[in-house]
This record gives sequence, C-alpha cells and structure tokens, in this order.
Amino acid sequence: MINKSAERVFEKKRQRRRQLAKLPFEKKIEIIVELQRVAASIKNDKRHKVWPI
Amino acid sequence: MEKALSVIEEMTCLGIIKAYAIGGGIAATYYIEPILTYDLDIFFIPVQEGLDELAPIYDFARKCGYVEEAEAIIIEGFPVQFIPAYNNLVREAVAEAITVKYRDIEVKLVRAEYLTAIALQTGRAKDRERALLLLESEAVDRDTLTRILKRHGLLNKLSKLKGKSHDK
Repeated sequence: MINKSAERVFEKKRQRRRQLAKLPFEKKIEIIVELQRVAASIKNDKRHKVWPI
Repeated sequence: MEKALSVIEEMTCLGIIKAYAIGGGIAATYYIEPILTYDLDIFFIPVQEGLDELAPIYDFARKCGYVEEAEAIIIEGFPVQFIPAYNNLVREAVAEAITVKYRDIEVKLVRAEYLTAIALQTGRAKDRERALLLLESEAVDRDTLTRILKRHGLLNKLSKLKGKSHDK
C-alpha cells in the first residue's frame, strides 16, 4: 500500500522521466557523457572512459 | 559519435556484416531517459554464420588501425561491442530495426518492443530495470510487445516482472 503523498512523489518522478525521454537523441547522448564525467570524478575507473564527443 | 556510427554503416556497405542495429543502453536511451552506459552495443547478422563470426570485423578494425580493448573495439574513441545475433529474437530485432538520425547520419536502432523483449529474456537486474522503464514510457506498443513475447515464449517473464514491480 502506498499513501497519497508518496504516490504524488512517484507520479512527479514519472513525469520527470517522461520529460527527459522526450529530449532529442543528441541531447541525451550529451547527458550520458556528462554522467560519465561525474562518475569519473568520483571514482578513478581505468576500464571506463569518458566518450570524446 | 557520428564517426563511429559511420564506420559501422560502412561495414554494412562493404559486406563485412549483413545487417546491424544499435541495442543496449544507447538504444534504450533513444526511448527513455538517458542512462549511464559506456559501450555502444551493436547486434549484427554475420555474413557467414557458424565459425568465428567476429573475425571479419576484427580484421577490418585492425586494417583501419582500431584497437581492441577487453571485449570491445575502440572506433574513433568509442568502445563498440559487436554482438552476433545469438537467437531468433535478436535476429528479428535486427531485421525489424528502425532508422533514426544522429546529427547528420542515419543509423539502425532496435525497436522499443524488441529492446523490452530482449531485456526480459536476458533477465539480469539491470535488464529488468530497463524493461520496467521502457514499459513505463510511451515508446512501447503493448500489442506489438505481446505478439513478440508470445512468439518467443516470454509472456511469463513479463507477468513475473509486473508482479515483482507491484510488490515494491
């Protein structure tokens, strides 16, 4: 059972995901690279490199 | 990334692979929110099935000066994983791929319904999560997905996934 407040939060999250899903493909790839940069700044992982776009 | 993609397109034109489609995290990202991924997964139909299906790809890559790193080939700075279509579902996914544009280049990409079906079939935790995100998105046509899952005996996997997600 989920109460109404929690359900509202989950619904907002779903809406946010849908908004992100509508971004152009090129923009999404830029976001992936940004995610890679953030991950690299936290953890020095030689196996995974940030894409050169 | 378009340079890497155009090299893959070129491989099809040169007959090194019969057909291809982008799968994995990049294909999923086309339909849903961007997800952290490091490889460009390419499902492909080999020119000759059976023996070493990756050999022509690696030969071509070496001639072009691209290096191998773990299970990927670094093409224009991008780790590309070539995955031979390993079963009927993946073969069908490549055959039914859509054409999408990335900047100035047109590439083949696995349809959302097939991505969901492949994720359900593979069944790792990250695949189940991806399947859920795809199902939650507006990209998946439920009737098409049901037909694909029925054809490949995967309907029970969808029911199980739905059951688990309702439990949470």
